[in-house]
Amino acid sequence: MPELLRSTTLRWALGIALWSVLLALTIFAFIYWQTATYLREELAETLRLEVRAAAADPAAAAMRVETWTAMDLHATHYGGLFGPAGARRAGNLGAVPDRLARDGDAYRVSATVDVAGRTLDDEIWAAALALPDGGTVVIAHDTDEIDRVRVTTLRALGLGLLPTLALSGLGGVLLARRARGRLASTEAALAEVMRGDLRKRLPVGSRGDEFDRLAGNVNRMLDEIEHLMGEVRSVGDAVAHDLRTPLTRLRARLERSRAQARTVAEFHEAIDQGLAWIDQTLTMITAVLRIGEMEDGRRRAAFSRVDLAEVVGVAVEFFEPVAEQRGVGLTVSISPGAHTIRGDRDLCFEALSNLLDNALKFTPRGGVVRVGVDRSGGATVITVEDTGPGLPPAEHAKVFQRFYRAEVARRTSGNGLGLSLVAAIAKLHTATVTVRAGATGGCRFDLVFPSAEGSKAGAPSV
Amino acid sequence: MARLLLIEDDADTAGDVLDDLRGRGHEMVWAATGPDGARAARDGLWGAIILDRMLPGQDGLRVLQDLRRDGDRTPALVLSALGDVDERIRGLRAGGDDYLAKPFALGELAARIEALLRRPVDSRATVLRVGSLEIDLIAGTGRRGGRDLDLLPRELKLLAYLMRSPGQIVTRAMLFEEVWNYRFTPKSNLIDVHLGRLRRKLEAGGEAPLIQSVRGLGVMLSPDA
Repeated sequence: MPELLRSTTLRWALGIALWSVLLALTIFAFIYWQTATYLREELAETLRLEVRAAAADPAAAAMRVETWTAMDLHATHYGGLFGPAGARRAGNLGAVPDRLARDGDAYRVSATVDVAGRTLDDEIWAAALALPDGGTVVIAHDTDEIDRVRVTTLRALGLGLLPTLALSGLGGVLLARRARGRLASTEAALAEVMRGDLRKRLPVGSRGDEFDRLAGNVNRMLDEIEHLMGEVRSVGDAVAHDLRTPLTRLRARLERSRAQARTVAEFHEAIDQGLAWIDQTLTMITAVLRIGEMEDGRRRAAFSRVDLAEVVGVAVEFFEPVAEQRGVGLTVSISPGAHTIRGDRDLCFEALSNLLDNALKFTPRGGVVRVGVDRSGGATVITVEDTGPGLPPAEHAKVFQRFYRAEVARRTSGNGLGLSLVAAIAKLHTATVTVRAGATGGCRFDLVFPSAEGSKAGAPSV
Repeated sequence: MARLLLIEDDADTAGDVLDDLRGRGHEMVWAATGPDGARAARDGLWGAIILDRMLPGQDGLRVLQDLRRDGDRTPALVLSALGDVDERIRGLRAGGDDYLAKPFALGELAARIEALLRRPVDSRATVLRVGSLEIDLIAGTGRRGGRDLDLLPRELKLLAYLMRSPGQIVTRAMLFEEVWNYRFTPKSNLIDVHLGRLRRKLEAGGEAPLIQSVRGLGVMLSPDA
């Protein structure tokens, strides 16, 4: 039960019940006020008419008073005709009530009345007028009728409120029970997820309400987490694998040199080879760490305005001799106008350099690598297209995964991180990188950067 | 040879750096904490300071910022652990003159320190001569002996950088930073192809090689006469 009390649904139900009670009270109060006012006005009007009629004809006043009191079936009519000294001449009022103004208007006053032979005090509504002879005529009516309206209203309120409260409370408890029932299965599933079973999913009902949508969203989030965990695990495995290979070679080489090397030159050679392997390993570790940093978006201190045309120009010039050496043509076309973005120029150079390195590696002698910079719909696009063997469409998305080596890349050097770095750099720049088949069958990489103009407003100055 | 101050808390790294630089003829002093390093930096006259980014007691960059604020312009090289973010930018903003990420090759550190010690280079000179080699940076021309060299702008810049520190080892990373003006570690063969092209132009008349490779480190331009 305490758990039920903490339930949000129950608290809502109780709140709504309380609110309905308040509303009912207000409405009842209004109805009572309106009814009572109406009744009072009716009565006052009758009393005013009667007393005026009685006073208008002093000779018949006694008879009018008697008629008024006699009209009464329930002993609710009072009246009296009093002499100048206050002596009663007719009617059932003991005396002229104190503090009753003789102006013909109706007032609520206390009075002594004779009813069925007994004298008692009562609250009455009375109207009085002076007579020419100094006497007073009083026409009155008791207040019970109006009081009964109040009592009836209050009783109706009480009788109506209790069931309202009881029903709201019951509804609340039932709703809370049902919500708890739905939550219980969700909580059980979540508990398993928290214990480490990331394959568990929350039950989703068929109603498609908020609750089902929430459960569906949590499930999609779990899908993503599971996918990322899997990626982390496979990256971990790949790092371990790629570390073991050079370390194994290094170990063997050191062991062999220790046993066989005779001259200083032979030792130096072994050490140089060892250093080269270690550097290769460190390069890979550095790349993994940098990809991680960039994916976390933690590397933006160097962001400033970067002219991509300049970056592309220098990068192409930097790769030109190696392209010439390999017998591959390298062309660049930069559309006129500004190609400015906000970013890290060193990282942009690195991304482009990885794309160029990749393109040159897979383009056979006699082929061409084309680099372009263009504006398209407010974005700046860098294109690197080669005339190499291309990639099957199934591999297009995978080449950006860490340690992924495409079928065609199995026999080439490289650690399978170059394009992952490109993807990470693109992500850091809120740019996208995609690959598709080029016009002549090779690969075409598109790096699409949002322009500096669009992001300038909110960007901090560096 | 110079007096160098190393502020580094890791004893193994410090030991390697001290041994290596002493072996190259420098006089080395080691401070293991930020406050010790700051005190030593103020008390002595140093050719250059090498300081680690992460130090017990006081942040390495703080030490450097304090020195710079007090008007100390001693060349400083900032070391920092691999994987640290934006470290180079922070290091340079704090007043560092150069930056090297760990793990680094000792040869790279030595070459960079020697480049710092050579500063300030008289970079206003527009005609440079080393042995039989002469280049004119304004005209964009080069000559070796009596022979005109047909140099691309980038080759001229590369040659100028080498000629400003003849007889000194320059690593590929340093070359790339200075000549191409980007901070990035390209595959070594890419720089070698550029150097190879330049060498062929310099030696096209059958002259002796000017640019020597230093195995595992970089290159050096030696005067031929």
